[in-house]
Amino acid sequence: METPPNLPVGWVAQWDSVQQRHLFIETATGRSQWENPAQFPAGPIAPIDTQGQVPHGQPHQSSKRRQYATGQTQAYYGSAEPAPYADPSYGQPQPGGQLFTPGLAAEAGFAGQQGAPAYFAPPDTGYANGQYPQQPVQQPNMNQVTNQFAQMGLGGQKPYALQTVNLLAGQPDPRDLHRPTPEIRLPPNASISQSPYVNADPSYKRSTINAVPTTSSMLNKSKVPFALILTPYRSLKEGDEPVPVVTDTVIARCRRCRTYINPYVQFIDGGNRWKCCMCSMSNEVPQLFDWDQARNAPGDRWSRPELNHSVVEFVAPTEYMVRPPQPPVYCFLIDVSHAAVQSGMVATATRTILESLDRIPNEDNRTKIAIIGFDVSLYFFTLAPGSTESSMLVVSDLDDVFLPKPTDLLVNLTESRSAIEGLLGRLSDMFQDSHTVGSAMGPALQAGFKLIQSMGGKLVALSSSLPTLGAGTLKNREDIKLLGTPKESTLLQPASSFYKTFAIECSRAQVSVDMFLFSSSYTDIASLSCLPHYTSGQTYFYPAFNASRTEDALKFAHEFSTVLASPICFEAVMRVRASKGLRMSEFHGNFFVRSTDLLAMPSVPIDQSYAIEVQIEETLTAPFVVLQTAVLHTTAFGERRIRVCNLALPTTTNMSEVYSSVDEIALATLFANKAVERTISHKLEDARDAITNKLIEIMTNYKNTMTAAGSGASAQLAISENMKMLPILCLGLLKNVGLRQSAQIPVDLRAYAQTLLTTMPSQLLIPYIHPTFYSLHSMPPEAGTVGEHGIILPPPLPLSSERLERHGLYLIEDGQTIFLWIGRDAVPQLVMDVFNLPSYTELRGGKMTLPLLDNPFSQRVNAIIAKTREMRRGPYWPHLYVVKEDADPALRLWALSSLIMDRAEQLPSYQQYLGQIKDKVNGTTY
Amino acid sequence: MGGEGWLFLFALLISAVLLFVMVFFIIMFSDLECDYINPIDLCNKLNQFVLPENAAHAFLTIIFLLSGQWVAFLLNAPLLAFNVNKVLKKNHMYDATEIFRTLSGHKKESFIKLGFYLLSFFYYLYRFIVALIADSE
Repeated sequence: METPPNLPVGWVAQWDSVQQRHLFIETATGRSQWENPAQFPAGPIAPIDTQGQVPHGQPHQSSKRRQYATGQTQAYYGSAEPAPYADPSYGQPQPGGQLFTPGLAAEAGFAGQQGAPAYFAPPDTGYANGQYPQQPVQQPNMNQVTNQFAQMGLGGQKPYALQTVNLLAGQPDPRDLHRPTPEIRLPPNASISQSPYVNADPSYKRSTINAVPTTSSMLNKSKVPFALILTPYRSLKEGDEPVPVVTDTVIARCRRCRTYINPYVQFIDGGNRWKCCMCSMSNEVPQLFDWDQARNAPGDRWSRPELNHSVVEFVAPTEYMVRPPQPPVYCFLIDVSHAAVQSGMVATATRTILESLDRIPNEDNRTKIAIIGFDVSLYFFTLAPGSTESSMLVVSDLDDVFLPKPTDLLVNLTESRSAIEGLLGRLSDMFQDSHTVGSAMGPALQAGFKLIQSMGGKLVALSSSLPTLGAGTLKNREDIKLLGTPKESTLLQPASSFYKTFAIECSRAQVSVDMFLFSSSYTDIASLSCLPHYTSGQTYFYPAFNASRTEDALKFAHEFSTVLASPICFEAVMRVRASKGLRMSEFHGNFFVRSTDLLAMPSVPIDQSYAIEVQIEETLTAPFVVLQTAVLHTTAFGERRIRVCNLALPTTTNMSEVYSSVDEIALATLFANKAVERTISHKLEDARDAITNKLIEIMTNYKNTMTAAGSGASAQLAISENMKMLPILCLGLLKNVGLRQSAQIPVDLRAYAQTLLTTMPSQLLIPYIHPTFYSLHSMPPEAGTVGEHGIILPPPLPLSSERLERHGLYLIEDGQTIFLWIGRDAVPQLVMDVFNLPSYTELRGGKMTLPLLDNPFSQRVNAIIAKTREMRRGPYWPHLYVVKEDADPALRLWALSSLIMDRAEQLPSYQQYLGQIKDKVNGTTY
Repeated sequence: MGGEGWLFLFALLISAVLLFVMVFFIIMFSDLECDYINPIDLCNKLNQFVLPENAAHAFLTIIFLLSGQWVAFLLNAPLLAFNVNKVLKKNHMYDATEIFRTLSGHKKESFIKLGFYLLSFFYYLYRFIVALIADSE
């Protein structure tokens, strides 16, 4: 036995013969630990002993900071074993202060551990790089900290700890939007694989509730809608794992419900049969399932990707084809009228196509291209293979569109490359002196459709004016008197049935339409966007486009070339299958519902989101349910594939588990989809009320069932911790351009905002309804520099103009626009550093490109803007507007409307909104 | 047989035809639910019958009005107003893009119309017989 080292007062050392070392016991509390309590304050290096045991907290510290840290560690270690997904910083002894290891200092953990004021804490790198911070930032509130740690510490099977927070007590912290989704706690052995990828990543598929109530009455009672938010085709950013591909065309499916084999099935009968996880049918395992066809040797079943990954792609055999896979087909319909040529749209578009010719998916040299110009007539171009010349054929009969030539209009990109390049180079000059006004867009669409209907493909329409000739003629119906009135929603409905019936025709022929609209005046996006809506395309809008402004040209060229280069899929159908008792009831997004649960998508654009509502039809008896999305499609390189995306969710009979598993981001995405649909079928007012009422319903029921207040009145506004950002997201939706109560919003902008609200994946949608707000003049020194995960962003501020100081420089961005707000008392040095101008008065507001200057501040600001532009998925390249505090009131108001926590026009501030909700919640009793 | 007898015999035949049209609609809707028909074909098929059905009903109602059959007219007036309202609002046609969302509403409407035509069929039959008896006396 060794002599015990010197001990602080109140401690005794006891020799443990088994461990062959001292056990230190605190006499006052009876707490014991292996480490010598006297050593910690001295040594800077954390003592981790050989057995990997973790040193416990330190008793009786003298400084305040240490006491706090001790409390945290106790709270943490006091609960069960570390959560499986916990940050490494939890597993290692490094709470602020006492066990601080300099080399190991994870900045992420540090801010919170220090107990610094929430909003001005140094930024944590994890968040700043667009990743989820593993640890929510704590407010210096011991109880809450304890609760939070307690919740995280709960192991696999323990119930969700429901934590109630009072919304009235604190301000929402924008960082909470990046918290991980509530954990999906599947029963042990739910999946046959131990792979961490057995459940889909939230960016592919997420559910509004991660624990499904067993009965529909319970779901109704909870008032939380059950829906899936899907983005089956999302882009792979750097660091994302590619989707594994099953190449051997052995596709095991359930005989009865046609479910694809997935990690949640069970192998029975010695592995010769498998039991379907949806309908419990016993199926035979295909003979070649255990055969490695590449090596022609027996393979390992357990290493098959479809049993280890939730998102997999199967290469489909010929049974999945009705015809040979189609080649990628692009038909460009370019408006060559006076307005289009003058704005520079034609020149920019043709140049972008020309530059993107190498990026258009064309791996097997099958891609076909056609170019049709239109103003009051249609201009076809023959692009004979091998020649560099193209000839133009004019068709002015718009009533009965015909193709002037059976061949050479739709040509192979590789074979006719020189002719296409020649045409694209000349197209803008050919119509340089055109003075024709008018647009035969409808007939052009019909012509393009005729050209590609036998194959299917993509129609890309670029238009600078309202269609005025032939089929699909639209009138200028914008009536300023109607704006802000209940009649406004009539302007958001399609004016002509052509765009719906034509969309259906397109969908049948596997033709998808993208719209790029450039008009400076009304173009009736509400009607035109119908076409992309039902053919799985996308609408892009560049109001008052003018290519002489480099920003405009750059934005369009960037987005257009990204769209052209994206690896899209063709002739797709999507179906969601679910465990017995669940039924997909409503579908929201850009597709055509071809039968009760089959969604037809002529093309699958990348990064488009769909929302599907789920109904519980009968009582769920299984401990967990599986929801499987399958997208059968043809890839851009001519392979028929099926992308399967599985999500397994546990079932529960406990209402508090339902609440504590709500995914507020998914819920907000669903609300956005439903609200937009409601504005079209009902009124804008109704759509807004529906959002607030739903929120009130959830809150009321939460208060009645989950809090002590019961159905009585309460001074608090209680909601579970994981839903605390829901009110601000709802408020953000109400204040979004697509839904806001205002008589100032042009119909086109509203309709465009609505198309964005229904198509953007959560990652883009959340900043769109809850913009990000940074203070640049007072950002921490590391912000804007390159950190471990790329450029470090400053900490986001709450969206309130209280934060705007008169001498400051701020950045507000919503993924579509970036505002650089500069206060009127900005010091000349700041203006000099950022804009290279001598003083604030010299600075002009508006769209601009920030100069990259030779000083660190300018470089950091530019780096932050660059990071903002590229960190999210999707083709969007936001404009940068410089907003001077005393400048152009329109621009100023626009920028300020992003600060959604403020009162604006008739719309309440966040506190007022909470007040309204609280009154309603207390007012209604059951 | 007098004018009234002929009138109700005619009404009887029309309502029988309308009855069958409604049965056809309902069958088609349930076919759609069972995935025996796709929404595009369904809408194309049903939309051919919508206006003729409305017109036949309107014609019958107006004949009742002109011939002074007030009870029969008042029975039919609400449905006529409903149909006219729909046509004026331009949502009388079935929309293939929205059909799954509105299917339950369409089915309900068809069932109510079916019931209405059935009742009016018996009413016209009764009035036809009454008219015949009155004639023979």
